[in-house]
Amino acid sequence: MVSAFKNSWITFKSIFTGMGVTIRHFFGPSVTLQYPDERAVLPKDTRAKLYVNIDDCIGCNLCARACPVNCIDIETVVATSDVDLGKTSTGNPKRFWLTRFDIDMAKCMYCDLCVHPCPTFCIYMVPEYEYSEYDRTNLIYHFSNLEPAMVAEVKEKAEKEAAEKQRQREEMMRKKAEEAKIKQMEAKKKAEENNSGENDAQSSKPENGDP
Amino acid sequence: MIEAITENGERREMTINMGPQHPSTHGVLRLELVLDGEVITRVKPHIGYLHRCFEKYAEKMDDYAKVIPYTDRMDYVSAMNQEHGYVVAIERMLELEVPERVEYIRVIMAELQRIASHLLGIGAFGLDLGAFTPFLYLFTEREKILDIFEKASGARLLYNYMAVAGLMRDVHPEFKEEVSDFVKTFRPKIKELDDLLSYNQIFIKRTANIGVLPDKVALNYAASGPVLRGSGVKWDLRKNDPYSIYDRFEFEIPVGSGEMGTLGDCWDRYIVRVREMEQSLRIIEQAVDGMPDEGDVMAAIPKRIRPKEGELYARTESPRGELGYYIVSDKSASPFRVKARAPSFVHLSMLPAISSGALIADMVAIVGSIDIVLGEVDR
Ligand code: SF4
Ligand code: SF4
Repeated sequence: MVSAFKNSWITFKSIFTGMGVTIRHFFGPSVTLQYPDERAVLPKDTRAKLYVNIDDCIGCNLCARACPVNCIDIETVVATSDVDLGKTSTGNPKRFWLTRFDIDMAKCMYCDLCVHPCPTFCIYMVPEYEYSEYDRTNLIYHFSNLEPAMVAEVKEKAEKEAAEKQRQREEMMRKKAEEAKIKQMEAKKKAEENNSGENDAQSSKPENGDP
Repeated sequence: MIEAITENGERREMTINMGPQHPSTHGVLRLELVLDGEVITRVKPHIGYLHRCFEKYAEKMDDYAKVIPYTDRMDYVSAMNQEHGYVVAIERMLELEVPERVEYIRVIMAELQRIASHLLGIGAFGLDLGAFTPFLYLFTEREKILDIFEKASGARLLYNYMAVAGLMRDVHPEFKEEVSDFVKTFRPKIKELDDLLSYNQIFIKRTANIGVLPDKVALNYAASGPVLRGSGVKWDLRKNDPYSIYDRFEFEIPVGSGEMGTLGDCWDRYIVRVREMEQSLRIIEQAVDGMPDEGDVMAAIPKRIRPKEGELYARTESPRGELGYYIVSDKSASPFRVKARAPSFVHLSMLPAISSGALIADMVAIVGSIDIVLGEVDR
């Protein structure tokens, strides 16, 4: 009987201690953020969305290679010798047209691994988090600013130049090969003239060995 | 309808499923319970709902560093500790020297994460048993820790903050202040938690003498962390096998004592976590005092990670227990084999041993008290 009372007393006491805490909190400041009306201020380097400053990108592909989930898709075309793409704001010369620079934010896991290797600091995270879409394909962000016509043009030009270069290279190779051949022949001739006696002696050896 | 006693008076067992959508299975866990009336005779945990091929993935990444974001996703409640375990393993393989400042920041982060993880574990444990309020109050505190993490790393849950022999970025200038502020404001909250939950009679009645794990059984199952310490075994890798710079700090290892009932019951496991938070605060205070202000945290990060041929097992103390990484290197860019020894998996395998004979209503308490994260169980 006594112990039952004691137990009840302990229970009530512990409940009221808890209630005390709750009441203290009740009069404390509110911590809930009423989301659509209020928005949290995120630190400036929050990792929420990737952004590429395409003007500074040199197309080195380092970011795509660093990505563990392969969500960066880059296609580059070599700039032909008649155009100068200029330099990035960090002073790196640009040598490639970026015909495609897509980032699939649906796949991205915000790991930040692509940000660090970039030599021109042009790929980075921005604290923007309200970009949900109804269609998943809308989450593929296209950063390349070339028009399709322009893409076709630079591709064609690059192909032409490449073909031209290839042709020139082949020509050079052929010339070189020819020159080398001539040289070789000359050298051979000379050698034959010089050591004709020796050569004869050497070549006669195996004949001797033959029965 | 299946009845426990058949028409001719025989007893009949009933099998029911708890989960995988049960709110108190902490993720997606299915427990097959064989019941005799309300008493559990057998439990069989079914796992694998969250299996994501961590080990195979790590072998295919062609880079040791690319595995780090994945370790976050194993135990998403304590991502920092998971990263810490992995980078410690790689650093030992490469025999790298880690800068002082990096070590201190890492310890602070790891201990903050331990508190955050315990807050979630304790909060969810109370929630499972019907105490809704502590959960919300604890989350308020956890939020403060996540704010510090967000400022430092840019992310709130999956940080990818630690790199091999360095950190992905330096902490913000107010870091030390914020951490000290947090320590100051958090201390009284532990007392509040004691008032609200730990010594609440209803809570004690629901956890004391439930799910008793004797120390012998715990050791046989290779339990670790708060689960093992709840059974009264003083074993903490931060003290017993120090890694990083844990040997420099003064702290105690809280163990269960059977204060409210039997040694190794749910309440003991719970209170060990609460006391551990106090110890973590002590470590954080010392680390903030000792942390050098200058130093490049990214300078020592190696460009290429190619450990020499061999194998290594490195273990660290995560909030859930012994987190080990066994890594085999064949000198190539990606590990030949990575095996993660997840404490949650070990503790879950112990469930049948500690829950047969319990009432079905106590199953929730037992699952909550071993504090598993299914992401880590399945990997
Ligand atoms: S943040 Fe990570 S996942 Fe996203 S694009 Fe960069 S490397 Fe890939
Ligand atoms: S690493 Fe930077 S410069 Fe190189 S391709 Fe990526 S965004 Fe462009």
